[in-house]
Amino acid sequence: MSQALIDAIAEMEDEKAVRLAGELLGGGETPLAILEDCKAGMAVVGDRFERGEYFVPELILAGEMLKQISDIVKPHLTQDGDAPKLGKVVLGTVAGDIHDIGKDIVNFMLDVNGFEVHDLGVDVSVDRFVEAVRAERPDVVALSGFLTLSYDAMRDTVAALEEAGLRGSVKIMIGGGTVDDQVRAFAGADAFGLNAMDAVNMAKSWTTAGVA
Amino acid sequence: MAALPRKPQAPSAFPYDPSRVKVIACATVIEEMAPRMPPEMAREVLDFGLHYRPGGLTVALQEVIDRSTGFDTLLLGYGLCSRGVVGLRATTARLVIPRVDDCIAIFLGSRGDYTEQHAQEPGTYYLTKGWIEAKDSPLDGLNDLVPKYGEAKAERIMRIMLKNYTRIAFIDTGAYELEHYRAYAQENARRFDLRYEEIAGKPGLVEKLLYGPWDGECVVVEPGGTVEYEAFVADGHVPAAGLPGLNRA
Repeated sequence: MSQALIDAIAEMEDEKAVRLAGELLGGGETPLAILEDCKAGMAVVGDRFERGEYFVPELILAGEMLKQISDIVKPHLTQDGDAPKLGKVVLGTVAGDIHDIGKDIVNFMLDVNGFEVHDLGVDVSVDRFVEAVRAERPDVVALSGFLTLSYDAMRDTVAALEEAGLRGSVKIMIGGGTVDDQVRAFAGADAFGLNAMDAVNMAKSWTTAGVA
Repeated sequence: MAALPRKPQAPSAFPYDPSRVKVIACATVIEEMAPRMPPEMAREVLDFGLHYRPGGLTVALQEVIDRSTGFDTLLLGYGLCSRGVVGLRATTARLVIPRVDDCIAIFLGSRGDYTEQHAQEPGTYYLTKGWIEAKDSPLDGLNDLVPKYGEAKAERIMRIMLKNYTRIAFIDTGAYELEHYRAYAQENARRFDLRYEEIAGKPGLVEKLLYGPWDGECVVVEPGGTVEYEAFVADGHVPAAGLPGLNRA
């Protein structure tokens, strides 16, 4: 574990973090260990965000660091990459919403925690979600939305999956804005998450326990 | 149901005494309400920054509501606002709130107008005088970041933040002199390579809030009641929380 890398991510020293990741890789550190440091750094950023010490710009910078470091270390992941995945997740920001800072962090965290993630991007129509679920047969569908307007689109997406006969084959989580159990019930999802670790924990609980 | 009056009723036609009514509004929304308010109506304006932390907004609003005694009605210049109004208790007087997701619908004139704009172009950064005064524009965001991160990094952060945005829409609500704010909105668009458009706002919802009738476009909570999320949902139906979400097996 590299405390220096964790600190650089937590302190928003993006150039230093990327450089350190490269140096660690060159020095023989495993890609997985470096990604673990990224997870630890991101956890600090998430805590500070929830405490009101960090804001959206810091989440953006953290997201960028994670992306750049992943790009450096992932090509070296070949051996680990063959390890069986915990499960498959179809992820996207729902129709009418273009916010993706949180979604991208969820993508990264699911990925480094062993999930195969199919990210459909932003403003994803109901039909595209249905097609992706039909094609990919994921264990989990993760619907992101920042605006309260998006809760309607979440509900429409869940209803369309049900109509297509696919609802029973997936677990659905929502997140992104000020969601709670009431919004989850409104959308017809199985769970809601307040941060990226919630998403990972829910996905793990569903895939390791087996999806009904 | 009787047809709704197109024009606001004159203050003399109020079903209530305007001096028994208080407006509690966000700094951005008061800009649209103030020019249309009867002079006898009391007002209290809350900081725009509260909306960044919806929990903080709820606490701040409840505190103002609780100490607003001597009024029959409190008109909230807010929408659902990231669910910041959910859970508010009408302790001292009736609460009336526009039944919209956020203030963009208030400026555009109705929930329907907002839905239409939103569907047309989700990547829209809306600006009004109120937001510009509250320093909630991309240029202000950039200026805030420069001291902390330097120009290059601040620029990079803002570009990422705006990467899915395609236009700046300046809402002309007709409530104030445009020129200064229009120019600033245009400067924002130029600076971040966004298309600039002007949309005509409508005063309908603000006037309805101030002058009635408080029909389906407003959420009304009588003293003793609580603002519920259901009241803001399009079809008014939210399944009971805690139960599995799907009603159709």
